[in-house]
Amino acid sequence: MPLRESEAIVLRTYPLGEGDRLVSFLSRSLGRMRGVAAGARRTKSRFGSTLEPLSYIRIWFFERETRDLVRVNQCELIESFLDVQSDYACGLALAQVSEITEAVLPEREASDAVFRLVLLTARAVKATRKPELPLAYFILWTVKLAGWLPELDRCARCGGGLGGAKVYASVARHGLACEKCRLPAMRPIVTESLAAAKKMLSQRLDKLAESAWPAGTAADLTGHLLELIEHQIERKLTTRRMMMESGA
Amino acid sequence: MPDFAEPIARLIEELKHLPGIGQKTAQRLAFHILRAEPEEALALAQAIRDAKEKIRECSVCNNITDTDPCFYCTSATRNRKTICVVEEPNNILAIEKTRQFSGLYHVLGGALSPLQGVGPEQLKIKSLIERLKGGVEEIIIATNPNAEGEATAVYISKLIKPLGIRVTRIGVGIPVGSDLEYADEITMLKAIEGRREL
Repeated sequence: MPLRESEAIVLRTYPLGEGDRLVSFLSRSLGRMRGVAAGARRTKSRFGSTLEPLSYIRIWFFERETRDLVRVNQCELIESFLDVQSDYACGLALAQVSEITEAVLPEREASDAVFRLVLLTARAVKATRKPELPLAYFILWTVKLAGWLPELDRCARCGGGLGGAKVYASVARHGLACEKCRLPAMRPIVTESLAAAKKMLSQRLDKLAESAWPAGTAADLTGHLLELIEHQIERKLTTRRMMMESGA
Repeated sequence: MPDFAEPIARLIEELKHLPGIGQKTAQRLAFHILRAEPEEALALAQAIRDAKEKIRECSVCNNITDTDPCFYCTSATRNRKTICVVEEPNNILAIEKTRQFSGLYHVLGGALSPLQGVGPEQLKIKSLIERLKGGVEEIIIATNPNAEGEATAVYISKLIKPLGIRVTRIGVGIPVGSDLEYADEITMLKAIEGRREL
């Protein structure tokens, strides 16, 4: 039973037994994993604040071949996002980052790109305290990295360019459709949203954050991408409902 | 699963619903109950029944109680100008053990947790705001010192502060009897932020 060490991001934790925690974390080198942190809920726990959601930590754990759950031995905090989560809107956005990452990424499949994306998003929310752009960026890139992002330039049905004021999308049919090829029940997306998406795919998040990003930019596209994620993971995102309820 | 007689299989199945109880523990408990004197087993059954039938939520503070309003809300000796806000009824016991707090309580029924689908609407925040009309001077927020508890504390304080009522938060930081050497940065930071003059 070797002791392993890795950089990780805590995705979420669940209370377990008397004073333990079940921790779902994204290891940089080993992918998404789950483990038990014994005594983590006790007042004098050696884990302290390291297991709070989205904490960027160095983790040491024991792994057995026959067991799904690892045993978390020790954690060291590299960067905390605890403070930013005391703002409800920011906390809600970061909870969505956790939920999507946990739902989209299979267990034990290392993805450095997703790891960097989660960290980048959390840092952007922490720095700006405005979660809308970082969250839209995260959702777009998650869908792209998962291989579900439709072509943004071309109609999936006729192959023509998407030049009109609006394009149309549906989770049931892969790809975007032009005005002529639209089908009933397809969701309209304004072309400004596609332009914003292209910008997000070509520019760094910190550069985008410096430019003006009016509220509601690409909201229709983000909504469609969230539906696409829900369609792929075959369940509704709890945080999406929470965001709708809070009007965020 | 081995074939137990139907009543014992049902008992094991019911015991398995309890938190932290798996198949083996449920079997052990079931056989312990079987071996116990009939009065002992029936007393357990009666205690469960009584708890379910007689215990309810206090209509004022949401604490669990067998009389409504609860002991704290009706007590003449409690300070009615201070309300301590906690997540769950069992948090009250931890505060009462100190014998230092003589105010009233308000149980929220959880903390803001978007991942678990708990938002402000799911918590008893509206009834807390209603209670503030009765001459309350201070609200002590005693939610857990984790991300969810902190978010709840900040959310509530944003609602209450404009009403001109003092909002305080319980101290967060190094536990008594521990060693500074093992404190992580955030715990230490909170301890320094919450330092007091000697």
